[in-house]
Amino acid sequence: MNHYTFEEIEIGISSSFDSVITEEDMKLFADLSGDLNPMHVDADYAKSKGYKDKVVYGMLASSLYSTLVGMYLPGERCLINNCEVDYRKPVYVGDSLTVMGEVTDKRNSTRRIKVKGKTINQNGVIVNTSEITISFTGD
Amino acid sequence: MSKEEVLSKVNEIFTDAFDREDLVIGFETTASDVEGWDSLMQMNLIEMIEDEFGMRFDMDEVVGMENVGSMIDIIITRI
Repeated sequence: MNHYTFEEIEIGISSSFDSVITEEDMKLFADLSGDLNPMHVDADYAKSKGYKDKVVYGMLASSLYSTLVGMYLPGERCLINNCEVDYRKPVYVGDSLTVMGEVTDKRNSTRRIKVKGKTINQNGVIVNTSEITISFTGD
Repeated sequence: MSKEEVLSKVNEIFTDAFDREDLVIGFETTASDVEGWDSLMQMNLIEMIEDEFGMRFDMDEVVGMENVGSMIDIIITRI
């Protein structure tokens, strides 16, 4: 886990990590959220709608932005105040995702930063993007 | 820009932030006068105002703001 303080943060600082969404992740998310929409739990249904397999929950894939912020950028001393996600392409079980974030704004007035996030799959395709507003907790 | 003109623009920001078209603020308005004006909303408002007027407050100014009027007094000096 990183431990950036507000003072240490500079515009342009970036972090990234890799993650694979597993079948187990999908089952856990279905139980946790109660979302049993067939697009996410029934491969045949998803294929009938033109997808190559059941589609990973968008909010499961974008939950990796919580990891990006809470573990990497800035890490320990933060809370997400806002997170806007644009879902661009489907994610499938087994996809190897790279989650990236870069600090694009820093406000001394509110001690908040903005991070622009991007997740790409193993083929280099952007599957979602985000803009996250983050406040810092006290030491 | 006059203080009244700045107030009008700030009012627009408030109605947008609180999603309340009927919200009318004045120079004497404080956080206790507007339901939902908590610390998180305060940060949102400050950043929206900074973006609208193309200026930045410093932390001491934000802490010292007593009401909308004192906020506008600072804005006036920066635009």
